[in-house]
Amino acid sequence: MYSLNARLLISVSVLLLLFFGATIVVLDTAFRTAGEQAREDILDGHLMSLLAAAEVSEQGELALRRELPEPRFSTLGSGLYASIRDSRNDVIYESRSGLGMRIPSTPAGAPGQEVFERLWLDDGTPLLSLTLAVQWEIAEGELRRFVFSVVESLDSFNAQVAGFRRQLFGWFAALAAIMLVSISLLLRGLLRPLRQIETEIADIEDGRRSALSSDFPNELTGVASNLNLLIDSERGRSERYRNTLDNLAHSLKTPLAAMRSLTGDMAAATDARFNEQIDRMDEIVRYQLRKPSSAPAGKLLLAPVDIEQEIARLIDGLRKVYRGKAPDIGVSVESGAEFRGDTGDFLEIAGNLIDNACKWCENAVRISVKPAGSGGLLLSVADDGPGVPGEAREALLKRGMRLDENTPGHGIGLAIVKDIAESYGGHLAIQESGLGGAQFTVTVPAQRSRS
Amino acid sequence: MRMLIIEDDDTLRETLARQLGAEGFAVEQAADGREGLYYAKEYPIDLAIVDLGLPEVSGIDIIREVRAAGKTFPILILTARDRWQDKVDGLSAGADDYVVKPFHFEEINARLSALVRRTGGWASSILSAGPVTLDMSRQELKVNEESVELTSFEYKIIEYLMVRAGEVISKTELTERLYDQDFERDSNVIEVFIGRLRKKLDPDNSLKPIETLRGRGYRFALERNQAA
Repeated sequence: MYSLNARLLISVSVLLLLFFGATIVVLDTAFRTAGEQAREDILDGHLMSLLAAAEVSEQGELALRRELPEPRFSTLGSGLYASIRDSRNDVIYESRSGLGMRIPSTPAGAPGQEVFERLWLDDGTPLLSLTLAVQWEIAEGELRRFVFSVVESLDSFNAQVAGFRRQLFGWFAALAAIMLVSISLLLRGLLRPLRQIETEIADIEDGRRSALSSDFPNELTGVASNLNLLIDSERGRSERYRNTLDNLAHSLKTPLAAMRSLTGDMAAATDARFNEQIDRMDEIVRYQLRKPSSAPAGKLLLAPVDIEQEIARLIDGLRKVYRGKAPDIGVSVESGAEFRGDTGDFLEIAGNLIDNACKWCENAVRISVKPAGSGGLLLSVADDGPGVPGEAREALLKRGMRLDENTPGHGIGLAIVKDIAESYGGHLAIQESGLGGAQFTVTVPAQRSRS
Repeated sequence: MRMLIIEDDDTLRETLARQLGAEGFAVEQAADGREGLYYAKEYPIDLAIVDLGLPEVSGIDIIREVRAAGKTFPILILTARDRWQDKVDGLSAGADDYVVKPFHFEEINARLSALVRRTGGWASSILSAGPVTLDMSRQELKVNEESVELTSFEYKIIEYLMVRAGEVISKTELTERLYDQDFERDSNVIEVFIGRLRKKLDPDNSLKPIETLRGRGYRFALERNQAA
């Protein structure tokens, strides 16, 4: 798709071309027609003066009574020529201007009829000729035919037309350029609010802004406020979803906790069976109610999570929890890593992995954050604990999927990490760490809502 | 040890209070956030269990306010919201540990005694100073590897003194922290119990484990065997 700017400029240019083109053709034709008409009128005048100067004797001899008034007829090569021929087409008179030149002649029309004709000199000079055949009555009933002809070179006229054209094109080209420039300036101003929306959406995606500003022209305020509503409801939706789940978890687990606290008063055998059932219900609630916070569509327009800060918060918290063990936790964060999504989801992934590592490690936990390709997140958490043997890895990843089959009560955290990673199009892998224990790696590809 | 439980579920709170009472804690109970906050700020509390999902004032806000008021006693979060977001929020608001519902009593008890130990700087649940060893998980006191029979109140006193070994603890503090409700009990009773403890721990008066600092209180005087 072309940009609005390009589209408008292209269509305006085409329109200008058509409009100015037509204007140029019309003006040029009108100028030329008017010019030719004027030439013909002038030529007609010259012919009349030639006729007026001619006199036929009793014998039928034609001669000019006086010099022609137009000085160009007597100037050699002036471009204006006159000639008179008799009925045998012999030249009786030729103006001095045409001396030594072969001025082409045209057959005359019927007597009394003026014939305009375009001719060319031998050297290609264009000419406009006017011929008139006249029947002269010498004696009673005796008619003699003479052909009067005036020829003018069109050189100067053509030069005039060409000059006019040059000027015409020059002016219109300048005009078109000015119009295009002013239209594109105008467009830039008109499109500025749209660009602003675009920039602000980018800012929202990068987390520099939470909603579109209200500073838009009337026509766009509706669009902007609707976009804001959409963003709000999108954000609110995942928050509402999470709150609902949390409230449900709270209202299910508190009674479970109360039941468990009461089992202490029971006989040992009943106590164990009761607790087993409570464990099962707890696992189901934990797993089912801690699914990813939102559907992938809900992740649009979500700002990137401040990975470094959230990991630091997690580690601060876990250092308190594991104060007795005091594991040595090392973190390296490479720039460029990005998790575009819900902070809760990120904390769930990182929290479960780091907590597990602290739980199982001898002493050392190493956390590394890198970009996965361009953008995206590659989070790996390694420990120096007992590790996970190869055959157990797959089983560990599958756990949590078959909760109703009464699986042992560990590994739900990992199943949740896996589910969340997959909901973002990523995955969880288990390897052996360089420290000798297990290494859990979550890869999440870049989440781009912009193209 | 005076313990505060803030939990809105009556059954859970009351059972927990009863069980922790049996472990030797003096327990205050609050059923909502407002009441809980009042207890936490106005009573001499050593340890608090705070549920995060409370009516009136949320658990996180309670923790924040308690810490803002300068109280440093350990706080254990009880949470049904098993999300890391909540745990991290609670821990960074100032809580020290968390337990997820539904918990086993043994688990919460172990976490609590770890927190109590930490306040006195002990790393293990077995506190040992000179020939005296106190096993907090078994509530057992040994002197020179020999068990010493103690009444529940005597145990409470020696535990409190040993956890804070080296610190001076006033009679008022002892009465406040160890009795369940009224603080008006005659502080002479404490003197009587301290006297009995001295006889049981140190029959021939050679160790002198509990010092009396006139006008100030008591101090467990033996050097700790393990630094934490």
